[in-house]
Amino acid sequence: MSIPQIRKPIVNPCAQPFWDATRQGKLMIQKCTDCQTNIFYPRLFCPNCHSEAIEWVESSGRGTVYSYSVVHNNAPSAFIPDLPYVVAIVRLEEGVQMCTNIVGCDPCDVQCDMPVEVTFDAIDEEFTLPKFKPVQSESIQ
Amino acid sequence: MSSIKGKAAIVGIGEIPTGRHADKAAIHYGVASARQAIKDSGIHKDDIDFVMPTGAVFNGQFNNDLVTCRLVEELGLKNVKTNAQVFAGGASGSCLVKTAASLIASGVAKNVLCVHAEKLGTGLAGGQAGIDLFSTAGISGEWEVPFGQHYSTIAALSMTRYMHETGATSEDMAAVCVSNRKWAELNPNAFFRKPLTTEEVLASKILATPLHAKMSNMLFDGGSAFVMTSADRAPHLCERPAYLLGESSRVTHFVHSQEKDITRFGWADAGREAFEEAGLSPSDIDVAEIYDSYPIYQLITFEELGFAGRGEGGQMFRNQETCPGGRLPVTTNGGMLSQGHTGAGGGVALVVEAARQLMNKAGERQVPGARFAVETGTGGTYMDSQVTIFGTEIPA
Repeated sequence: MSIPQIRKPIVNPCAQPFWDATRQGKLMIQKCTDCQTNIFYPRLFCPNCHSEAIEWVESSGRGTVYSYSVVHNNAPSAFIPDLPYVVAIVRLEEGVQMCTNIVGCDPCDVQCDMPVEVTFDAIDEEFTLPKFKPVQSESIQ
Repeated sequence: MSSIKGKAAIVGIGEIPTGRHADKAAIHYGVASARQAIKDSGIHKDDIDFVMPTGAVFNGQFNNDLVTCRLVEELGLKNVKTNAQVFAGGASGSCLVKTAASLIASGVAKNVLCVHAEKLGTGLAGGQAGIDLFSTAGISGEWEVPFGQHYSTIAALSMTRYMHETGATSEDMAAVCVSNRKWAELNPNAFFRKPLTTEEVLASKILATPLHAKMSNMLFDGGSAFVMTSADRAPHLCERPAYLLGESSRVTHFVHSQEKDITRFGWADAGREAFEEAGLSPSDIDVAEIYDSYPIYQLITFEELGFAGRGEGGQMFRNQETCPGGRLPVTTNGGMLSQGHTGAGGGVALVVEAARQLMNKAGERQVPGARFAVETGTGGTYMDSQVTIFGTEIPA
C-alpha cells in the first residue's frame, strides 16, 4: 500500500542530495566555505552571506530536543494511523535545527534538552526520513 | 522610526456575526461588513478611492474574485482607483492598517476601505477538511509536513518549551481561555458565549501535549471591514477616531522549526519600537487586543510587550485582571478562541475591536474612556510579530 502523498517530502531540487543521503543512512547538512556557517535546510546559496561556495558535510547526527509534543487527537488524516506520535525540534551539535519525530522510546519519556541521535526511517522506496532516538536507547525502531 | 504617527485614523468599522451560515455566500460577508463600515465612517461610498481586500483561503475562485475587484462592483463604488489584496495570514489586519496609513500619509489615497470575508466554517467539507487544510497552509511540505507537523503541534511546541523555561502551567493557559470567554459573553458577534471554566478546559481531550481541545480554536464564517482616512479629515467625520500612533514588526521565520526562539519570536523588538514611535509605554494602554489563536501566543506577546514579566503573565489572567472589570482588558472581542477563527479575519477583527473600543461603540463590553489601544497580529506559523498602537488623541 503506498503512503499518502502529503507524507512524502515535496523536494526542492537543491535538496535532492539530502534525500539521496538519508536513503544511504547519512544526515548531510551544508557548510558555507566563505563564512563558515552551517546551513539547514539546504539552499542554493548561503543564507548568511549569499555566497554560492557551499558544500555538503556529514552531521554527527547528535543533538538535543529543543521542544516536543506527543500527538493524541485531531491529527491530519494521513497521520492518524501513527497516533500517538512525537513531533520535535532537534538542535544538532552543528548549530542547526530541524523538525523531526522522536522514536525508540515511550513518548512519555521525551523531555526538553534530552540528548538524541539520528536514526533513519525508510517510509517507502523513494524516501527515508531522519528521525531521532534518545542516546541511551536500546529500543528497536 | 517612520513619520506615520498621527497621520491617519480608522473612522468607520463593520462586522457581521462569526458563525456558520450555509445559506450565505462568501461575498455577502465582504459586502455586508464593508457597507456597514462605509456608513459608520460618514464618508460617501463614492469617495472611497482605494480598496484592499485581504485573502480568503476557503476557496481559490472566491479569492480570485476579491483580487479582481468584485467588491468594488458589488458595492457600487464609482471612484475607486485601485483594488489590491494585502494578505499576510493572521497578520493581515496589522498589515492592512500600515499599508492604508502609508497610502493616506503619502497622498496616494484619500479614503481606504479594508475588507475581510471568509467561509472556513461552512465553506469546507467538514471538520477533518479544516484540520487537513490547516495541516499544510504555511507549513513546509518538505521539512515539516512529512513528520506530522500541523497547527496543534506548532502551538504545543511553543507551550512545551515556554512551560519548561518559565514554570508556567496548564492552569495559566486555561486562564487565558477563560478570560477571553468572559469578553465573548458580552460580544453579540461571538460564536462561543457560554461561560467557560478552567476545569472544563483542563478536562477536554489532549490534542498534542500539552494542548487541550478547549485551548484550541475552531474555524467559522465571518466578515469585517474598516475605513481609514487622513488625520485632518477624521475629526470632521467621527467623534473619537482611532489614530494610528505607532507600529513596528519583525519577520522571524518561514519554516517554524527554523525559529530561533519559539517562546519569544520578534515581539520584544517590535513592541519596543511601536511604543517608542507612539510616545507611549505599556502602562498607558487601556485595552490590549492581543492575537490569540492559541493561549500560548497571547501569553508570550503579553509578556514580551512588557505587560508582565517573563512567566508572570498567567497570574494576571488567573487573577482576572484581564477580564471585564479588570485593570487591563485583553482581547475584548473574545478573540479567535471565543469569537471564532476566521482565517485572516481573526486579526482584522482585533483591529476592528481596537477601533470599536476607542470609538466608544463597544456596548456592553465597552472599556470606559478607553484612549489608547495596542493591537497585535501574527501570520502563518507565527512567522511575524506585528504591533500597532492606536489612540483617540495624538501624544507628543
